[in-house]
Amino acid sequence: MSRFKGIIAIIKKEFARFFLDRRMVLTTVILPGLLIYVVYTIMGSLVSGIAGTGDYTAAVRNMPASLSPVFSQIESFEITEATEDDDYYKTQVREGGLDIYVVFPEDFDEVIAGAVGGAAPSQTPNVEIYYSSSEDGSSAAYSAFLAVLDTFEDSLTNIFDVNAPGGEYDLSTTSVTNYILSAIVPMVLLVLLFSGCMSVAPESIAGEKERGTFATMLVTPVKRSHIAVGKIISLSCIALLSGISSFLGLILSLPNLMQGVFDGIDLSMFNAGHYFMLLGVMLTTVLLLVAFISCVSALAKSVKEANSYVGPMNIIVIVVGLLSSLVGNATSPFLYLIPIYNSARFITDIMSLTINPLSLIFTLVSNFVYAAALVFLLTRMFNSERIMFNK
Amino acid sequence: MQEILSVQNLKKQFRLSYKQQKLQRTDKKVLTAVDNLSFTAYKGEIFGLLGPNGAGKTTTLRMLATLITPDSGDAFIDGYSVVKQPDEVRSRIGFLTGELKLEDFFTPNYLFNFFSELYGVPEDVRARRKRELFSRFGIDRFAEVKLANLSTGMKQKVSLVISVVNDPDFIIFDEPTNGLDVLTAKTVTDFLAELKAQGKTIILSTHIFSLVEKICDRVGIIIDGRLAALDAVSEITKDKPLEDVFFDIYARTVGGAV
Repeated sequence: MSRFKGIIAIIKKEFARFFLDRRMVLTTVILPGLLIYVVYTIMGSLVSGIAGTGDYTAAVRNMPASLSPVFSQIESFEITEATEDDDYYKTQVREGGLDIYVVFPEDFDEVIAGAVGGAAPSQTPNVEIYYSSSEDGSSAAYSAFLAVLDTFEDSLTNIFDVNAPGGEYDLSTTSVTNYILSAIVPMVLLVLLFSGCMSVAPESIAGEKERGTFATMLVTPVKRSHIAVGKIISLSCIALLSGISSFLGLILSLPNLMQGVFDGIDLSMFNAGHYFMLLGVMLTTVLLLVAFISCVSALAKSVKEANSYVGPMNIIVIVVGLLSSLVGNATSPFLYLIPIYNSARFITDIMSLTINPLSLIFTLVSNFVYAAALVFLLTRMFNSERIMFNK
Repeated sequence: MQEILSVQNLKKQFRLSYKQQKLQRTDKKVLTAVDNLSFTAYKGEIFGLLGPNGAGKTTTLRMLATLITPDSGDAFIDGYSVVKQPDEVRSRIGFLTGELKLEDFFTPNYLFNFFSELYGVPEDVRARRKRELFSRFGIDRFAEVKLANLSTGMKQKVSLVISVVNDPDFIIFDEPTNGLDVLTAKTVTDFLAELKAQGKTIILSTHIFSLVEKICDRVGIIIDGRLAALDAVSEITKDKPLEDVFFDIYARTVGGAV
């Protein structure tokens, strides 16, 4: 135990530095999750607003008796009978006072009844729907009204159905939820983990170097390797917390983000094993990222310089995250030896419930080995006066 | 007299960047900061390293403290080589220099505990030493105040205390009174005398003549990385004050009047 006293002392100090600083806890752990939740929720309600769950106002002239009950059941439409002349309502639509103005032919019902009976109409009846394409509400009302009329028209001339209601036609074993999660989560999660690591590692390594507090530690008999291990363990824990916070914000806000697009997110297909695997991948990824960013930070003379080195690497993480969900199933388990790509790929696998134990082992072990190699490199760097005292 | 420090032909060169070459108005690509420096210090004495800015004092002390390694030569502290056994050396010395900073976020109390842990000081010893040192310097009054909120003098007292957290027998002080007011400077010099009375060895670098005359037993004068003179302070100041002696040596070494 006493052999690791140095490591424990460093870890305790890093934790004290972080957790006793309310500002850092707020900006690194609490705010990311909270912001993601709030922003995604707002985005969701904006999107659903555009998609049109709101109430529409419509003025209808010559509402056919056959359609009147259909529209009276659609709550989102507030329909009034047109009593003024056409120009009045067109102006209203143009100025935004009314969403749509609909004019049915006076003999709509008779012509339709004739057509259903087999008589060819002398002229196809035309329903005029006046709308304003530059107004979101008006466009949405136009589409909704059109959809009702289309359905009505289809029901009159129903020759064949495609996927009639009542049957189970989608044979996929994974749900839409899995599809959406595997498209969104890997990239977003990796980016969030990376930004979590970026908010702590440069500050702790380049920052201490810049402020001259690192050298104070280097004069003590604590081993350089212990400083490296202590720093990376503690920074990884903090970055993981930040990642978990962001992940919770993301998962909890997904139903809000997707509202109106599909019927909500159901996470019941994931069991404790899945969450453990996810946590394992997150942990080893964070270890790798922190070790990597720490090495880069050790090269830098200041936090600012470290951030300017590390910043562009965020783009690589985004691209790799995107690639993993776009490329499709990995054909060879050896692809799970490629750092970052393996994590993104395996998170995709978890989300789409297509897990191969060998991929899991390859991902976890390779991440760990890379992180250990980087810790070794970091120790060498801490030993190098040219790196630690470059001014 | 028991030898505790033996410096043997220490040499250290730094590569100059193009910018540094321009700043120093030289076309030399390499700066020799310490050039074949050898001297010995004995147990229980205060050994002064006197020299102008850029003479190589701090570089020498940083090599002794194992922060940087010499290009050639070696130094032995209590028999341990700074090149081959840096961990052994580190655990036996205390080092105080302006460039080693303490984290502003922490309190003196926290920092004392943290560095005690890094040095592996047992908890009971740590508690006793903390009590003694904190009351000796009046740190107990601001032991729980973050360093960021302390004055320069208070910070220097905390640095001083932390540099001896491991109760070392060999202590290196690099310009310990720089930037301090006379009262705090006196606290520091009094402490150096106390440490000497406890039988500890102190290597002190300074460019303040009066400090050397007042507390040092022997003094080495460094000019341009080389040892220009080395003798007991009483011997060197036999005929004239140290300041005059220094200027004579400087004129002789560098050439021309100062």
